[in-house]
Amino acid sequence: MTRAGVVLACLLLAGCGAQAETHHNPGTGHEVSTSVPAPVAGEARAEITIAAGKVEPPPGWLELTKGQPVSLIVTSDVADELHVHGFDIPATLVPGQPVTVRFKADRTGVFEVETHDSKLVLLQLRVR
Amino acid sequence: MNVLAHGVGSRSDLPIPEFYAYAGAFAALVVSFLALGLLWADSRFRGAEAGVPIRVSPPARPLRVVSLLLLVYTLGWLVAGPARTEANAGPYLVYVVFWVGLVPASLLFGPVWRLLNPFRLLPDRARRPLPARLGHWPAAAGLLAFTWVELVSPEPAAPATLLAFLALHGAVQLTGTLVYGHAWLERGDPFEVYSTLVGHLSPVGRRSDGALVLRSPFNGLDAIVPAPGLVATVCVLLGSTGYDGFSSAPFWVDALQSGPLGRTVLGTAGLLAAIVAVAVLYAACIGAAGLIGGARGMSPRFAHSLVPIAVGYLVAHYFSLLVIEGQRAFLLVFGLDGEVDLEIVGPGVIATVQVLAVIGGHVVGVVAAHDRSVRLLPPARAVAGQIPLFVLMVCYTLGGLTLLFAA
Repeated sequence: MTRAGVVLACLLLAGCGAQAETHHNPGTGHEVSTSVPAPVAGEARAEITIAAGKVEPPPGWLELTKGQPVSLIVTSDVADELHVHGFDIPATLVPGQPVTVRFKADRTGVFEVETHDSKLVLLQLRVR
Repeated sequence: MNVLAHGVGSRSDLPIPEFYAYAGAFAALVVSFLALGLLWADSRFRGAEAGVPIRVSPPARPLRVVSLLLLVYTLGWLVAGPARTEANAGPYLVYVVFWVGLVPASLLFGPVWRLLNPFRLLPDRARRPLPARLGHWPAAAGLLAFTWVELVSPEPAAPATLLAFLALHGAVQLTGTLVYGHAWLERGDPFEVYSTLVGHLSPVGRRSDGALVLRSPFNGLDAIVPAPGLVATVCVLLGSTGYDGFSSAPFWVDALQSGPLGRTVLGTAGLLAAIVAVAVLYAACIGAAGLIGGARGMSPRFAHSLVPIAVGYLVAHYFSLLVIEGQRAFLLVFGLDGEVDLEIVGPGVIATVQVLAVIGGHVVGVVAAHDRSVRLLPPARAVAGQIPLFVLMVCYTLGGLTLLFAA
């Protein structure tokens, strides 16, 4: 997607990024947006592409320290539902559009990031 | 679906710290070699002959009726509960409260599922005697089926999956009990055999004269009767937990979801391979011990010493699931609107429990194998004959620690 497209998408979503939503897990503030935000100092980042049922880069571990901010930027070629387990963050994946999920890894353990329909594991977060 | 979780759950454990892994491995090696040189030269354990009688007679029938009602309640959740796993108590009742909870309950109180098994409410009228060669094989097959559902099946936590398993399990137990009476349940019901094996490590047991006694877990272990299929049952327990340990490794996740075989086929192959690997190692080491010690038919007689190793690994594996996902079962059953505290136990506590459980199991296993060797092998060869057994246990324990450390 071109830069102009990103800007347009952001404008259409009225208020670039910051589509905060409350959910059934108080205390884990997060945001889901259809844009690629600028990196924040100390933030962990993973960019994942799903094409024809394959995950690129192949599913690995993302090592985090407790409290570290995380950005997961996921682009899928089909419509799907993204789910960050443990933090219980859902996000809707629109075909071809990068979706960014930002949150703070504020609990320890290993958590899986997966898609609901294609049932793919994209990544495992290891928060120490 | 959750590749990470044991059927249910939203998290899994961090790898244990390097120091814990090395300290554990070192302890396992030292204990094994000290045991060779320093432990007694004549067998001390008296198995089912030992124990101090206690005057307790638990009301078996009412307890079984209660457990039947709980089964019906669980089935109710599975049939009529919400489709979302996180909102349905059924899968949590099966995987966490029943399957995982059976381990601590049996460790504390002995063979509890024998006491609670609702199939024991059926009349004990055998139409024919249970063939001796059947032994624990049906239980080994049943445990394999359950662990396959838990670890490999496409939707382990879906109510339909669990209902299909429970229907099949119920049909098999019903048929077995109607044909062979309660002898079938004792040897063939996977959960009763599982609970009874784990329960041999508890301070409560039954003496050979039928009295309920307090006894040392070593005598409890020694009282395990070698039966056909016992080795297979223990190998299924060890192998399936081992598979659970490495199935979340990135290379395996990638192979499962992107490989040409498809996840169910590859997952099934992986689970079977893990069990076969455990069994082959056992056969090779017991064979070597038999050759060195000059004894035959040793295989079933040392299976009891693997029980504590399997239990140690089960505890290491399921401890956090029980204390964390157990909360969700509680919240869902009582309809409470609370939150599961994912950090009710920290990573330090979890790692400590894991390493202590694995090493504790190893130590008990080594002592049990030593006592059995000095009983079965001629004195001049008893020490040398034990070496392959200790190699076997060290392999299992180091393998378990490696999985906790690396995957």
